Amino acid sequence: MQNITIVETHGLTKRYGGGVLAVDSVDMSVRRGEVYGFLGPNGAGKTTTLRMLVGLIRPTSGTAVVAGHQPGEPAGLARIGSLIESPGFYPYLSGRENLRVVADLASVDQKRVDEVLDIVELASRAGRKFGTYSTGMKQRLGVAAALLKDPDLLILDEPTNGLDPQGMAEMRKLIKDIGQGDRTVLLSSHLLGEVEQICDRVGVISNGHLVKQSTVQELLGEEGVLVRAHPIDQAQELLTKMFGPAAISRQDGAIRLKTKPQNSLEINRRLTAVGIGVSELRPFERSLEEVFFQLTGEKQGS
Amino acid sequence: MIATIKSEWRKNRFRPAFLVGTGLIAGITVLVYGGSWYQALNPGTAERAVSLASLYPAHFVNNVLGAGWPLGAAMAIVLGAVFAGSEYSWGTLKTVLTQGPGRVTTWVGRVIVFMAWMGIMAAVLFVVGAACSAVIASFEGQALVWPTVADVAKGFGAIWLILAVNGAIGLTLGMLIRQSAAAVGVGLVYVLSVEIIAVRFIDSINNGAYKWIGDLFAGQNATALIGNIAPQPVAPTISAEQAMVVLAAYLLGLVVVAGGLLRLRDVT
Repeated sequence: MQNITIVETHGLTKRYGGGVLAVDSVDMSVRRGEVYGFLGPNGAGKTTTLRMLVGLIRPTSGTAVVAGHQPGEPAGLARIGSLIESPGFYPYLSGRENLRVVADLASVDQKRVDEVLDIVELASRAGRKFGTYSTGMKQRLGVAAALLKDPDLLILDEPTNGLDPQGMAEMRKLIKDIGQGDRTVLLSSHLLGEVEQICDRVGVISNGHLVKQSTVQELLGEEGVLVRAHPIDQAQELLTKMFGPAAISRQDGAIRLKTKPQNSLEINRRLTAVGIGVSELRPFERSLEEVFFQLTGEKQGS
Repeated sequence: MIATIKSEWRKNRFRPAFLVGTGLIAGITVLVYGGSWYQALNPGTAERAVSLASLYPAHFVNNVLGAGWPLGAAMAIVLGAVFAGSEYSWGTLKTVLTQGPGRVTTWVGRVIVFMAWMGIMAAVLFVVGAACSAVIASFEGQALVWPTVADVAKGFGAIWLILAVNGAIGLTLGMLIRQSAAAVGVGLVYVLSVEIIAVRFIDSINNGAYKWIGDLFAGQNATALIGNIAPQPVAPTISAEQAMVVLAAYLLGLVVVAGGLLRLRDVT
C-alpha cells in the first residue's frame, strides 16, 4: 500500500431539489492499493457519494479528484471499474453478450470478457440470458463488468446486497482476491463484519457526514485488558498506581485497562498478592459494530 | 464514437422490441395490400372503390407511404420511448455512462444506431410493399413495371424522415420521463389524438387566421410530405420543401433537447 491518494474529496456536498441534504461536506481520501470500507447505515449518503465519484451525479459544491481526474472525465473513467447499487444489464442478452457490449463501450479487447468471466467463476453460465440470472449471478456479472478495464480503482457499492450467506462469503473472498496487489478497492457496505474482514481503512458516514476515517485498528482503539475483580474499588486503585489514571476506565462492573494483553500475568500476580479475587481477566477489543453504533448514534439491536 | 456505435449496435441488433416492431410493420403492409386486393376484386363490399392497377408495382411507393404514416410513425414512437426509457428502468444507463465515452459521445452514438434502425424499418416496409405488389401483379397476369429509382428514393427518404421524427419524439419522452411505459402512452396519445384536435382547433380560430401555426405541427407536415409524393384527393397546402424543412427541424431539435437532458441531469 502507498500513501498516494487515488480518491480525494474536499467539502463534497449534494443537496437535492426540495432541500434534502444527502451528502454534507465530505472530506475523504482513499490511498492507492488499499481496500477502503465506506460504512454507513442505509440512507447515510454512501451511494450518493459514490455516484458523485463516478460522475453520475454532479455535486452541489465541493471538489473530488478520482484516479487523477475530475469525476466523469473519460480519462479517469478509463481507470475506474464500478458497480453502483445494483448491476445494470440488458435482460434479453446473455451474460457474455452484456459484457461484450460493455467491452465495446470501454474499448477493451473482447478476449478480456472470458478472462473476467473466469475470475468471477461465471464462465459456465455466461450463455444464459441475464434476465434468468439469480441475484448472486447478477452481482458476479456486475463485478466482472467492473473488472473488464483491469482498473486501478474498483468501486463496489454494497456488492453483497441480496446474497445468501454462502453467496456473501464467496463475494467477500472474491473482493479479497481482486484487492490484492496495487489495485485499490473502495467498498461501500452497511455490513460491519464484511468490512472488518476485508478492509484496511474505513470511512464512516452518517446523515451525510463523514464522521470518522482511519485504519480499522485505529477505529477499534488500542489493545486492552478487561478485569473483573473483588473488591473492584481496591483493584482499580492498585491498577491506577500500576498504569496511571488515563489507562483506566470502568464499564458494566468491570475495569478496562489500556495495556498490552501480555501484561495479564503480572496484573493477576499483583492483584492476587494483595488478596483481591480475580474472576475474569482477558484481552479486550471493541467490535467494529460497537464503534459504528457509537459514531453513527444508531441504537444497537434497534 | 466508433466504440459507442459498435456497442449500441451489438445490444440493439437483436433487440426484441425492434424485431417485433419491424415484423409488425411488415405484417401491417401485407394486411393493407391483402385488404385492398380483396376490395378491388369485390367492389360491392368496399366502402370506396379500390383500383386493381393502384396495387401493381408501378404504384407500390404510394401504398407503402400510406402504411408508413401514421401506423409506422406510431410504431417509431413506441420504439423511441422503449429505446430511451428502458435504459433508466433496467439501470443500464449508469453502466453505459461509467465506461469512458462522454455523455455527448454516448448520445450521438445512440442516436446514429436508432436512426439506422428507422432506416431498416423503412427498408423492410419498401421490400414487403414491393413484394406484395409483385405478387398481386403476377396473379393478375400483369407485367412488372416498377417506379423509377428516383421515385423510390424520394419515397424512402420521406418515410425515413417521418419515422425518424416520430422516433425522436419517443426518444425525448423516454428521456424526459425516465421510463418506457408512460413515454409510450404520452407519445401515442399526442400523435394520434392531441395533435389532431389541437390543429383542428387552431385552424378554426378566426376563419383560419392562425392556420400557419397549425401548419408547424409535425403531423401536419408528415401528412403534407406524403401528399406531395403520393397524389391525394385533396392537394396538401404545405409544400414538400416546407414539410421537409419543418420535419428536419423537429428531428434536430428533439435530438438536441434529449441529448441536453442526458448531458445535464443527474443519473440517480
